[in-house]
Amino acid sequence: MPVTVKTFTSTNEAAAALSSDRSARYLGGGTLVMRALNEGDISISTVVRASDHALTRIDTGGSRITLGAGVTYARILADRDLGFLHAPARSIGGPAVRNMGTVGGNLFAPNPYGDFTVAMLALDAVVSVQGGLGSREVPIEEFLQSRDRQAGTLVLAISFAKPGNAEAFRYRKIARIKPKGGAVITLAAYLPVNGSRIVGARVALGSMAPTPIRARAAERALEGRSLDASTIDAAAAAAVEGTSPSDSAIASAWYRREIVSVHLKRLLSGQE
Amino acid sequence: MLELRKDLFADERDDNLKEIGKGTQRQDMLGHVTGTSPYFDDHKLQGMLHLKVVRSEHSHARLRRVDTSEAERSQGVRRIIRGSDVPHNLNTLLSLINFGKDDEPSLAVDKVRYKGEPIVAIVADSPREAFEAIAKVKIDYEPLPAVFDVEDALKPGAPVVNEVYPKNTFTYHETYDRQQLRFGDVDRALASADHVLEQRYQMSPIEHAPTETNGSIAAPDTNGRYIVYTSTQALFFSVDTCAKILDVPSNTFHFIGGTVGGGFGGKVDTLTEPLCILGAMLTGRPVRYVFGREEEMQYGPPRGAERIYIKDGVMRDGRVVARKVRAYFDSGAYTRLSSYAAVKCAAHLPGPYTIPNVYGDIYCVFTNRTPATAMRGFGVTAMDFAIECQMDKLAHLVGMDPMEFRILNSYRDGDMKAHRREAKNTALIECVQVAAEKAKWPLRDEFKRMSSRKDGGGIRAAVTLTPRETHAPPAAALQQRTTYDRAPAATREPPPPPSPPPPSSPPTPRPNAPAHGAARFSSVFGTRRR
Repeated sequence: MPVTVKTFTSTNEAAAALSSDRSARYLGGGTLVMRALNEGDISISTVVRASDHALTRIDTGGSRITLGAGVTYARILADRDLGFLHAPARSIGGPAVRNMGTVGGNLFAPNPYGDFTVAMLALDAVVSVQGGLGSREVPIEEFLQSRDRQAGTLVLAISFAKPGNAEAFRYRKIARIKPKGGAVITLAAYLPVNGSRIVGARVALGSMAPTPIRARAAERALEGRSLDASTIDAAAAAAVEGTSPSDSAIASAWYRREIVSVHLKRLLSGQE
Repeated sequence: MLELRKDLFADERDDNLKEIGKGTQRQDMLGHVTGTSPYFDDHKLQGMLHLKVVRSEHSHARLRRVDTSEAERSQGVRRIIRGSDVPHNLNTLLSLINFGKDDEPSLAVDKVRYKGEPIVAIVADSPREAFEAIAKVKIDYEPLPAVFDVEDALKPGAPVVNEVYPKNTFTYHETYDRQQLRFGDVDRALASADHVLEQRYQMSPIEHAPTETNGSIAAPDTNGRYIVYTSTQALFFSVDTCAKILDVPSNTFHFIGGTVGGGFGGKVDTLTEPLCILGAMLTGRPVRYVFGREEEMQYGPPRGAERIYIKDGVMRDGRVVARKVRAYFDSGAYTRLSSYAAVKCAAHLPGPYTIPNVYGDIYCVFTNRTPATAMRGFGVTAMDFAIECQMDKLAHLVGMDPMEFRILNSYRDGDMKAHRREAKNTALIECVQVAAEKAKWPLRDEFKRMSSRKDGGGIRAAVTLTPRETHAPPAAALQQRTTYDRAPAATREPPPPPSPPPPSSPPTPRPNAPAHGAARFSSVFGTRRR
């Protein structure tokens, strides 16, 4: 059966086409779907696209930042208001991939990819999805937990509160090939400070579980404390708790477990 | 910038050459930067069909049953090709120069020996329809114990990977399970050395990762001939390999190369052409067979893994007096070119150093891994890595500067190499001196004054007494003929007994022409131009 491409002007129609056909996949930048098709993935028979401009909108005006699902990494890198997201955007692929790859598609990228989603998880993002019954907002953690069942839903946008200051957000990707290889692990932390104490710490890890996860034990070690050496050591020591990394061609599960605390320590202490 | 030291190499190069050292435009560069270089895959021929292969899911398994009936009925399928459709379904690449036995089928018949080995080829109207038919091929495997480690493969009772080589090693000179080098009495020298250092080195397989994956397009031409557009980096080698596998004269084919989109050794194995041409023969239509990226990475041949043990004897004054090497080349499930890598490796020992006692055992081992092949200096690169690591460790052991240690042990003109050939045109000392100078690495004056042209030969030209080893007489079948023994095997003379001159004798004259009398041919066993 040949592959059918369906292009819709409205996200409603695209979402309906997507949810009514199990063999349908939404094509954003194509860095995942076209690769699968080229490699002979016969589970995809219909490719759905939407030309709604809302999908490519960036809204940085209010206290919340909204990125349309079709926003590319190149667009983020060109946007000065999104400077704190340049590190995660730049860590993905080469220029060609960054010109095509989208933040919506990244939510579905399997290990060792999906670095931008790690950043989104640390920022406590909310994913807007268009289901059969209309659009709804799903917290990113909930979205990731049910990601395997989300192939039939259309992601419209992702939004998150603007960090109080750029220093509060930190990101680090460990790759064998710099800067664009698949991740050994990816780390992102959001550490808002009230007075001298961290309030509402969020630490996210990529390639440490089937989907990006939060390092809750490390967050607990940081919460309510000042970011000094003993706090950093305690957080680093707790980093591996609750993780379940896998062996892959890039690194073994053992290696990932060994290095996660080292890199969390470097991330928190601001080392290169 | 290229710099030729005329003070050192006054007569090495003609000063009137017009190209060396000048910025000359590469002839293919304009096409590359303007996107107009022709590649094999630029041809979209009318009525072109697409070939894909069903690959083994197991590293080692017997094929109980292969059921293609449902795939045959799948939409767009033009032809299913099985091993029995391949005219000569057993080949080894270097059989073209009489080296090695045929050991690899184009399509597996009774057994698969590595994960990803092709079993069935499907020719369909589109790649998509070929993929859909692949999903409908039912294969009943009987998994067999597999072996993935070169030393495990040599243990008694190890699974036999390839029945053509039941001991899991390539057979050299119809007799030996390894390529051997014997020069002097290495065990005695090790026993009398001031220090002995034994180390183990390991290199993993390396994928060539070309931008363009392996592929070809074959189309029927007039007069029963076939035009073949191919990514091969060894065009005439591929022509002859296809002629053998398809059992037709080589002038049946008109091979057209083009730009190779990255080869590095990974496009000499003629992986796609035979099935592609066979598809065109069986359907009468143009057929395209191109590896996907995952196929290229997972099942395209890599540089093989190597495990190397080096045991060196060194004296307090820094002279290396003995080097004993045992190396294992992981050929994967089939020979491809690893047999040659082991020959090259043995020929490279003991590195560019004059060592009076050298012993090498180089094994080409079969395992249930993806077959390995050529890649940039294969057979030498890993061994050089090991040897140079070893040289650094030895220098440290005797408390010498590593640069000076290398200068001390370097080949000089007139020295006897472990292969009983006189060293000529040597220049390692000068290279180390220049490297040290550029790196502002201090060398003592006596080492700065040393030269490849001085103090070679003499005692360093001696062929040291080499103990004979007893071994079984050659008994293997005649089918494995090498360039070493073009003469009928029955008349082959045993190797001449060693005739070592006393150590103090003047340099021995250059050895006479090789005993087999045959003109040396090919890059496999070729001699260097003197």
